[in-house]
Amino acid sequence: MSPPSNIKISVAHFSVFQGKEDALRNITLDIPANRILGIIGPSGSGKTTFLRALNRLNDLAPDVHAEGQVLLDGADIYHPSFDVVSLRKRIGMLFALPVALPMSIFENVVYGPRLSGIRCRKRLSEIVERSLKSAFLWDEVKDRLQMSGLRLSGGQQQRLCLARVLAMEELEVILLDEPCSGLDPVSTAKIEEALTALKSKYTIVLVTNNTKQAARVADDTAFFLMGDLVEYGLTEKIFTVPSDNRTNEYVTGRFG
Amino acid sequence: MRLSPKITQALAVAILGSATFLTVVVLVFIIIFILGKGLPGVTWEFLSCAPKDMGKAGGILPTLVGTVLLPSMAIAIALPLGVGTAVYLTEYTRENRMTHILRFGIDCLAGIPSIIFGLFGFIFFVVMLKMGWCLLSGALTLAIMILPTIIRTSEEAIRAVPNAFREVSFSLGATRWETVLKVVLPNALPGIVTGVMLGIGRSIGETAAVIFTAGSSLRMPMAAFDSVRTMSVHFYILAREGISNENAYATAAVLVISVLMINLLSYSMMHRFIAKRSR
Repeated sequence: MSPPSNIKISVAHFSVFQGKEDALRNITLDIPANRILGIIGPSGSGKTTFLRALNRLNDLAPDVHAEGQVLLDGADIYHPSFDVVSLRKRIGMLFALPVALPMSIFENVVYGPRLSGIRCRKRLSEIVERSLKSAFLWDEVKDRLQMSGLRLSGGQQQRLCLARVLAMEELEVILLDEPCSGLDPVSTAKIEEALTALKSKYTIVLVTNNTKQAARVADDTAFFLMGDLVEYGLTEKIFTVPSDNRTNEYVTGRFG
Repeated sequence: MRLSPKITQALAVAILGSATFLTVVVLVFIIIFILGKGLPGVTWEFLSCAPKDMGKAGGILPTLVGTVLLPSMAIAIALPLGVGTAVYLTEYTRENRMTHILRFGIDCLAGIPSIIFGLFGFIFFVVMLKMGWCLLSGALTLAIMILPTIIRTSEEAIRAVPNAFREVSFSLGATRWETVLKVVLPNALPGIVTGVMLGIGRSIGETAAVIFTAGSSLRMPMAAFDSVRTMSVHFYILAREGISNENAYATAAVLVISVLMINLLSYSMMHRFIAKRSR
């Protein structure tokens, strides 16, 4: 049985264990294509673990293992024959703290394309311009692409990181792990604006500590608590008429 | 009786300051002493001519060449092995009993006196493998001797590279090897260079292990299987055998200046590299 075509990622009975403790318990949810899924929940609820399971970044940590199924376009990404490197080229990730690599802005953006074997200077320049424009950073840096990425401000660095993800030509899904937690409201607004513009091309999963941010940009919202998926539905419904009382208490700010 | 914070502060500054001052004074004194005694003997002829009469007269050209060749070859052998080992231990294995034992072994090797390495090199390379006293035997022995230093300093440098860099690289679809090449090694370079500098310093100054394995021929080394004498060995023999104190000091002066120049050159190269990446 193949999933309906508009489902990008299908997670079924998925659990993650850190050593003996379970960080995620039996998660089942479908992530539809070309929409923004917001994931909310207090810290320690497993949001980040869930996100890092989708591009298998959890593999890097010692004694973390996963059970269950994650299908990307119907293919099981945890199957031994699935190529992790190609997976990560299709599923890009933005981290909580902006991490510009200690190289020029240009080299930061073309890090992914170079790995994919693109050498042509003209093509790389086109990729840099297109990606930086999509990340709303082009106008601020177009005259100093050879400057080190480390010299940008925090907000600019995070948009550089977004551009670096967007530069990957195989990109289909963007994962964001509290991308605005260290940013000022203006930078946050720019990132959110970029995300809204990008959802026509990509599937976006946004983990956020800021419930208001989820309400602003997410089409669907999932509420995680202590490793369980409590509730998942249209953002409007989660924030106005949640069916679970814990969701109601969290989104109205009574705990968390 | 308790001293007031002001007085303790002043005392600390005075004690630490004089410790630093004393160290620098001793160092400067040694350098001035050697340069003062040696520099008058350093002429163009001294640098560019072959020694005559066992080094009593003439120059030091063959030993100058030997001093450049031997440590360079040792580094050329030890650097890929050492950095490779460090990368393997840090990036490709998880911490377990095996890595602990390996690391303990490496630390033990680093503390072994150089003459033991010399003896090993003599028995293994010179006698058993029938390589004789030559540049290659010496370089291999020195390489083994400096390997622990290079491994440990490289390992520390690689460990100091922020993990976030690796995660970003992996998340952009890099393999482990690509991550090592593009992110880990460039950022660990300053530390690796420090290890190499220590290695060069040790192998330039080495005498015991070199005499045992590379010999002490005064002829110009032309091939890997030629015996060779380095400046340190030359200096040692001149002074030990009482051949010529003036030439011994002159050789020492050239040695000190060479080491200084190598250090300055590699540090300026390293700083240019770092500046290029953060400008």
